[in-house]
Amino acid sequence: MKPRRLCLLLAVLALALSGCGTKKSTAQPDPLLHAYDVEPDWSNPDHLFYLNYQQAQGKRIFYDKCVWCHADSTPAGPSNRSNLNPMPALANDGSALNSLSDDYLRNIITLGGSAVSKSAMMPPYGKTLTQDEIQAVIAFMRAIAQPPYQPPARPGPQYSTR
Amino acid sequence: MPAEEMGKASRKLRLAFAISSVVFVAVLAISPLKDYFAPWRQYKRAYARFANTRPDTKRLLADYHSGIDQIWIPELKVVDRCTTCHQGITQPSLMDASVPQPFRAHPSIPHHALDWGCVVCHRGQGLATEVREAHETTLGWEQPLLPTHFIQASCGVCHQSDIPETPQLNRGRQLLVDLNCFRCHRMNVSERIYVPPPDLSNIGHKASREWIYKWLKEPRTILDSDGNVVTNGYANEPRMPQFRLNDAELRDLSAFLSTRQNEPLGSHQIDPRIVAAWQKKPDVADQGETRFRQMFCTTCHAVAVTRAGQTQLIGGNIGPELTKIGSKVNEDWLIAWLRNPQSYFGYAQMPRYQWSDEDLYKVSRYIMTRLTDSDLLSDVPKMDPPTPAEIQAGKQLFVGKGCANCHGIQGIKAPKEFGPDLSAVGSKTVSELMFGDAKIPHTLVDYLRSKIENPTSVNTTAAMPQYHLKKEDVSALITALLSMTRRPDAPAFAKLVVRATPSKFQPAGQFGELYDRYKCYLCHQFNGYGGTLAPDLSFEGSRAQKAWVVSFLKNPQTLRPASTFRMPQFNFTDAEASTITDYLEMVMQSPQVNPNPDNSSKTSPELVALGKQLYEVKYQCQSCHTIGATGGYVGPNLSNLGSWMRPAWIAAWLKNPQALVPGTIEPRREFTDQEIQALSAFLMTLKQTPTSAKAGSAAGGSR
Repeated sequence: MKPRRLCLLLAVLALALSGCGTKKSTAQPDPLLHAYDVEPDWSNPDHLFYLNYQQAQGKRIFYDKCVWCHADSTPAGPSNRSNLNPMPALANDGSALNSLSDDYLRNIITLGGSAVSKSAMMPPYGKTLTQDEIQAVIAFMRAIAQPPYQPPARPGPQYSTR
Repeated sequence: MPAEEMGKASRKLRLAFAISSVVFVAVLAISPLKDYFAPWRQYKRAYARFANTRPDTKRLLADYHSGIDQIWIPELKVVDRCTTCHQGITQPSLMDASVPQPFRAHPSIPHHALDWGCVVCHRGQGLATEVREAHETTLGWEQPLLPTHFIQASCGVCHQSDIPETPQLNRGRQLLVDLNCFRCHRMNVSERIYVPPPDLSNIGHKASREWIYKWLKEPRTILDSDGNVVTNGYANEPRMPQFRLNDAELRDLSAFLSTRQNEPLGSHQIDPRIVAAWQKKPDVADQGETRFRQMFCTTCHAVAVTRAGQTQLIGGNIGPELTKIGSKVNEDWLIAWLRNPQSYFGYAQMPRYQWSDEDLYKVSRYIMTRLTDSDLLSDVPKMDPPTPAEIQAGKQLFVGKGCANCHGIQGIKAPKEFGPDLSAVGSKTVSELMFGDAKIPHTLVDYLRSKIENPTSVNTTAAMPQYHLKKEDVSALITALLSMTRRPDAPAFAKLVVRATPSKFQPAGQFGELYDRYKCYLCHQFNGYGGTLAPDLSFEGSRAQKAWVVSFLKNPQTLRPASTFRMPQFNFTDAEASTITDYLEMVMQSPQVNPNPDNSSKTSPELVALGKQLYEVKYQCQSCHTIGATGGYVGPNLSNLGSWMRPAWIAAWLKNPQALVPGTIEPRREFTDQEIQALSAFLMTLKQTPTSAKAGSAAGGSR
């Protein structure tokens, strides 16, 4: 009688506890499936940058308005970049752009080169693009930067509940 | 019963009672314990711990409570509990990638999550409170999360006309039309510029039985080592897919098609004197090639060029690729076609050019002798003249394989509902799909990918032919297909749908005839209708001077040396050029531009000098525009602007370019009225003498 009862008890417990288990999926998802868009690394086409919505909108605007002077090849063929003096920075040139803050980039895009004492060849886009669009372009440039862009260190917790 | 036995029994009973009490308490405890350790509660506690490490803890925890969170929007029937775990989605400070999931903020998009819920876009199960049930397909809940790669499909559920934010969806919708998917499958496609497949009622005049055999077997004839040919980023894939036909079927179909000669060939005689004069000249094909290039046939037709071992197609993809066309067509047919494409079949999209017999002879000789491949038909078996039995069997195949869905042919009606209805394919559940023996994950996305890449992978008897598509194009097609869903049954959704607004620009009268004849709309936009290859002509009457339009039509030039696309040389007659110019001037006007230019608009040497200084120093327009030999080549060449554009247009353009041509890349600046006057005065002095006028361009006009 006793062992049978014990068996029953264990079975009930096992049944009850089995419900607590959670299944974990082990398959690694393809990163492409979780990206809104991709952009190949300009210096290494086999390496892809995965873009979120904002960066992808930035890419679209970049390839419409900016690519002509800030890349070495364009959808129409050759670039206008080598034609200009001073030569504009490549949009993925991390060594030149990573040290510039988002605010600085927003200013030069909005107000043009002459507003920040740079070449007047860079026209202002503040009346052509919205601030969201300009921010998206900056997000795209940050995403494709080589060497990679590191956002400035976040200020540490100023207050804590513990 | 003796007392001690009673005591023994009661001890046993007490023990049993004690054990069962413990079990009872344990069982009772399981439920609250299970609840306490539920994954969503763990995520809630983890979020609180995480928020405490952030500088803005107070704000992050402002709405925090220990229960289930949900977004409830009755009018959309949205009850989404996703925010129970994804607690930071509305916190702007949690946007960056260093924030661990599931706490990261939602990227900023035009629709706020609290107004729309999550499932409307991401699909999955809003009511579920377990990770797997919310995200994946389970037995009871069949709609898995839509991978972000295809998320634009959800935009397309409501936005039925293309929006710039969804390039992948737009491309997919274009492909559904270009690849003729909509001709076999029922689906909603919006009106697009599209070159329909040819009518085959007279194909027997055009191509031989051997060529038809080869084409049906393998429509792709130019391949590089990867099996692709790429031109300017677009694969120049023949729109004809590959059908899985065996030798007997190929013989029957080619027999049937090669005997289709319902009507006699149109006029194809070239003046015998011209033929006699040119026949013996050794360079007739070379001259034909020069003419072919001068006329810019390559704006619509690509031709393969092999350089340094790499095969590349140069040219557009509006018309078919022509590299081996000389091995396909019959010369009499070619001449008749070039003279009048619409006489071969009425809806042909090739413009009807004005040819001189001499040019026609030269170009046809070039096509027939240089655009050839002697090996093209070498693997086609020898065939005897078609027998009536073969022709009859071929006719049955033509119907059975669905050829008539795309190709018109006299005497055969297109079968209705040939392929499965795809108008709600995006709502299909996994249990509605037949995966066959395919070793693929059982999801709708994987099913569609497998089906598009190889139709027989999920159904060995599939009638769907084989397309050869690039990976990006497959993704684009999947996105467009997933966007076709059953409407959610909330009535509020019906109001949200942004319908495609079909717009057709179909002028009448003499201009209408020319517009149809030269197919202007294939490249140019007219009031929102037409192609995007060439500048929008909606406001051309406000922009260009009359004399310039006439001279451009007679001799179209471009200033963009990089561009392979130029307006073809149509050889307009004087009367045609003047009809077109008059129409553009009278009708294609912008309300933003004063049609009666102010005669008092002053110009003086001082104003011109000021304008020149503004152009060169203050605004440095030369970074994008060329005058003479110097400047950039982003915008159009301005060397001849004074003879090209109207002063009122220039002033309006400088004030606000996007108001005239939405989306133009010329940035809008804050010029003062005086600066605009000075710049206009300066720009209007830029003129080239007509003999050297090579720079006047329309190709660069809008951008």
